[in-house]
Amino acid sequence: MKRVAITHVAQSSGAESRESLMDFTYRVNKEILDKAGLRREEVGCIIAGSADVFHSGLSCANAFDWDGIGAFLKEGSRAEESAFSFIYGCMRILSGRYDTVLVTALVKGSENPDNDPVTGFYGDPFYLRPAGLNESVVAALQMRQYMERRGVTEEQCAKVAVKNLGNALFNPYADRKRRVSLEDVMNSERRYDPLKALECAPKSDGVVSVLLASEKRAKKLTKKPVWLQGYGSSMDHFHPGDRDLLNGRLPEAAKRAYAMAGIGNPRKEIDVAEVCEPYAFQELLWCEQLGFCGEGKGGTWIDSGASRMDGALPVNASGGVLATNPYPARGLYRIVEAALQLKGEAGEHQVGKPVRTALAHSTHGFGGQCHSVVILSA
Amino acid sequence: MGNAVAIIGTGQTRHGRRSDACYPDLVREAVTAALEDAGITLADIDGVVLGTMPSMMEGVSSTHFYFAEALGSVGKPVLKVETCGSTGQSIGHCGFFWVASGMADIVLVVGSEKMSEGDGQATMTTVFDPFFQRTFAAGAPGVFTMQSMEWMYRFGIPEEKGREAAALISVSNHDNAMDNPHAHIRMRVTMDEVKNARVITYPVRLLDVCPASDGACAVVFASQKAVRKSGRKPAWIRGLGFRGEEFFYGESDKAVWMSATEAAGEAYRQAGIRDPLKELDVAEVYNPFTYQEMIFYECFGFCPRGEAPDYVLRGTFLKGGELPCCPSGGTLCTNPIGATGLIRMAEAALQVTGKAGERQVEGAKLALSHAMGGVDQFNGITIVGSTL
Amino acid sequence: MAREEHRIVKGQVLVPYELALGKTWSAFYDYLKEEKIMGKKCGRCKRVLVPPRSFCPRCFEDMEEWVEVSPEGVLETWVYVNMPFFAQEIRIPFISAQIRLDGSDSGFIHRVAGIDLQDFEKVREIVKLGGRVRAVWNPEKKGSILDIDYFEPVD
Repeated sequence: MKRVAITHVAQSSGAESRESLMDFTYRVNKEILDKAGLRREEVGCIIAGSADVFHSGLSCANAFDWDGIGAFLKEGSRAEESAFSFIYGCMRILSGRYDTVLVTALVKGSENPDNDPVTGFYGDPFYLRPAGLNESVVAALQMRQYMERRGVTEEQCAKVAVKNLGNALFNPYADRKRRVSLEDVMNSERRYDPLKALECAPKSDGVVSVLLASEKRAKKLTKKPVWLQGYGSSMDHFHPGDRDLLNGRLPEAAKRAYAMAGIGNPRKEIDVAEVCEPYAFQELLWCEQLGFCGEGKGGTWIDSGASRMDGALPVNASGGVLATNPYPARGLYRIVEAALQLKGEAGEHQVGKPVRTALAHSTHGFGGQCHSVVILSA
Repeated sequence: MGNAVAIIGTGQTRHGRRSDACYPDLVREAVTAALEDAGITLADIDGVVLGTMPSMMEGVSSTHFYFAEALGSVGKPVLKVETCGSTGQSIGHCGFFWVASGMADIVLVVGSEKMSEGDGQATMTTVFDPFFQRTFAAGAPGVFTMQSMEWMYRFGIPEEKGREAAALISVSNHDNAMDNPHAHIRMRVTMDEVKNARVITYPVRLLDVCPASDGACAVVFASQKAVRKSGRKPAWIRGLGFRGEEFFYGESDKAVWMSATEAAGEAYRQAGIRDPLKELDVAEVYNPFTYQEMIFYECFGFCPRGEAPDYVLRGTFLKGGELPCCPSGGTLCTNPIGATGLIRMAEAALQVTGKAGERQVEGAKLALSHAMGGVDQFNGITIVGSTL
Repeated sequence: MAREEHRIVKGQVLVPYELALGKTWSAFYDYLKEEKIMGKKCGRCKRVLVPPRSFCPRCFEDMEEWVEVSPEGVLETWVYVNMPFFAQEIRIPFISAQIRLDGSDSGFIHRVAGIDLQDFEKVREIVKLGGRVRAVWNPEKKGSILDIDYFEPVD
């Protein structure tokens, strides 16, 4: 089987940018090309990850994206979510037809309406939307079930925000930078009870890029290639009422990724994980489903400190989505952060332990309707 | 180079105004038809690719969620790929690469649109940036008219000749659509009717312009192994190309249209095609506007620059001509945008597998399919053949 | 009970945005207030683009040099718009046009006016491809593209 590597990464800060989206995108892609010593003409294929009109005010996001990603007259495409773009880029390399692919995800959350009205448009116009569903509402439904059925406490959920926002203080690219205590989180506004404001991700700006290469090319481009070892994804039913919100499709996605990567015991074999947690409690639920701890053990797991930056299996050393949430780009941010950990280039938020295998997770949709899991290795 | 990939099944809805079906049901209609055509079940599908026009079209965003059941994608990996009007080609390309990567054996690719439910021209207008150009935008007809005028002026094409050739394209596409049970507009029109139809944006008239359709298309992509197992006659993917130009309208020359020219050039290189007019047996060109179809003929090397009207009037692209174009009736008679480019690909596959029914071009072995997107910004091409 | 077979639900969606112009485009509008049309020149391919860009989409390099282009240019193509569209700012009929301003290397999209637009046949006597047009400034500057009110044919 052919192999594909991430050779270089680049990212913008998640904080509000004064630049136009086009210029904002260009800066990051110029940076990654300069790092790799390539001109855009020399890249085989360029793929964007962006969402259309509700996230940008522009229809056909690829149209406006095209100049900034450097795709003029290049072979290219665009996927709607950045983990999709990433794996599509990998497919292009694995097909043997391209030696290099540049994948760039972009959004300016600061220019758009809040996440809640935007995700509200996932709902159909007849049933879910009039019923007032959006991602936060469904997350609150899910959180209540998680606490009631699994016995995880509200404080344990809040601890995720304390940990991740604490980690974000060491990440120069993080958007929400503020040291918070358990009390701060517990006392923050209850917008969707039991969810509290500090347990919900902000809305961030963000451009993030990876340069992918075939095995032969990767070894020429960098001394520290990061290899794709596994990928798995799965889609759940549309109506939240048609599914069990605590038994979604993440175990299935993870199983596929682990099988491809030859991972039998994720708890032991994964050294670090970047998990997409737009709502604090979801980190615990997702970690259970990724097999990092037993079912219902998410609460005691965070209590144990295992997922801290200096723990046995650090989760979201970057600060995660709770710190930085450029919505359609956040999946690629997870992948880039995992790659930085593997390269040993995460700077102040580099975890203490050696990192050989990393997991990056991405989710979007009501209550995690769609999950993608990527396994990377040094 | 790499793994071989083929189309082993296609499905289309009845296109038109489909207020009898909600959007997911429309999608399911195409999926069911494609599975049946490929002789497989949902259990055989390793992954699903979906693409539509932007959310504004129907007012629902990220429709891979809404369509999860209709696509048969529950429990499967899904990719949502979109590039405006060229979406249909882009999702087909994604299906190709998914299988070619070795990560899947069978991938279901679905494109859809329900244009009767929203304001399609509002979507087009908001493709323009809000800072400079949107103020002057007049939907798709405005842009395509500007391009056609520039092209005729550049090559000194007399207005009368351009009009005559465009009218013939309209007449022949409408004739062809009569042979296609899926087509939206099924009526015969005369040269005079086209030339005297209501002006939309001069010189473009009502019968020079595609309709706004509801419809969906599904195509099944398979690896060599899966092709053998299916026992179906495959349409092999022989070449593909996708190119885009700068965002701002006016920055690139639309009379010679680099993205269309280079996308086709890329696909020809892969397929080993040197003389497309001779080597291709049939072409499904994305033709929402009659005049624009002629620009494509030139970009794709079917004829020299500026000579498309002569070739058209000589009957080159008619059924029975040297290179029949759009025997399906084309985009001019059916345009559910997110599906349209994939319909072109499906029609090309039907032709090279001898399954095109009344619209079959006899003995077709090599076919080109195409779609265009953005404000004249993107072009995608796929070439399929009866042999690898 | 009789049931309507295919029901249609009507709805409308309004979503507000605040889009950043950034440095280059903000400056372009400031120049318009001074009745100057400014482009930027690429140091590599030497093309002058209007509207200006912070970077050249083809060379993928920063565009540093500001260049003033002429308020006059050649009409590359145009369209007579006499049908209403959603969110149209200009009253119909109007002429949307692509103009190659002297000193620039890209088409500039604006409108042609200053003539009687009601009768299309009369319009096409005056407005011609390859013909020259000139910017007419709006006395009231709002920091928008319509600070250039329109382009008028120059005979």
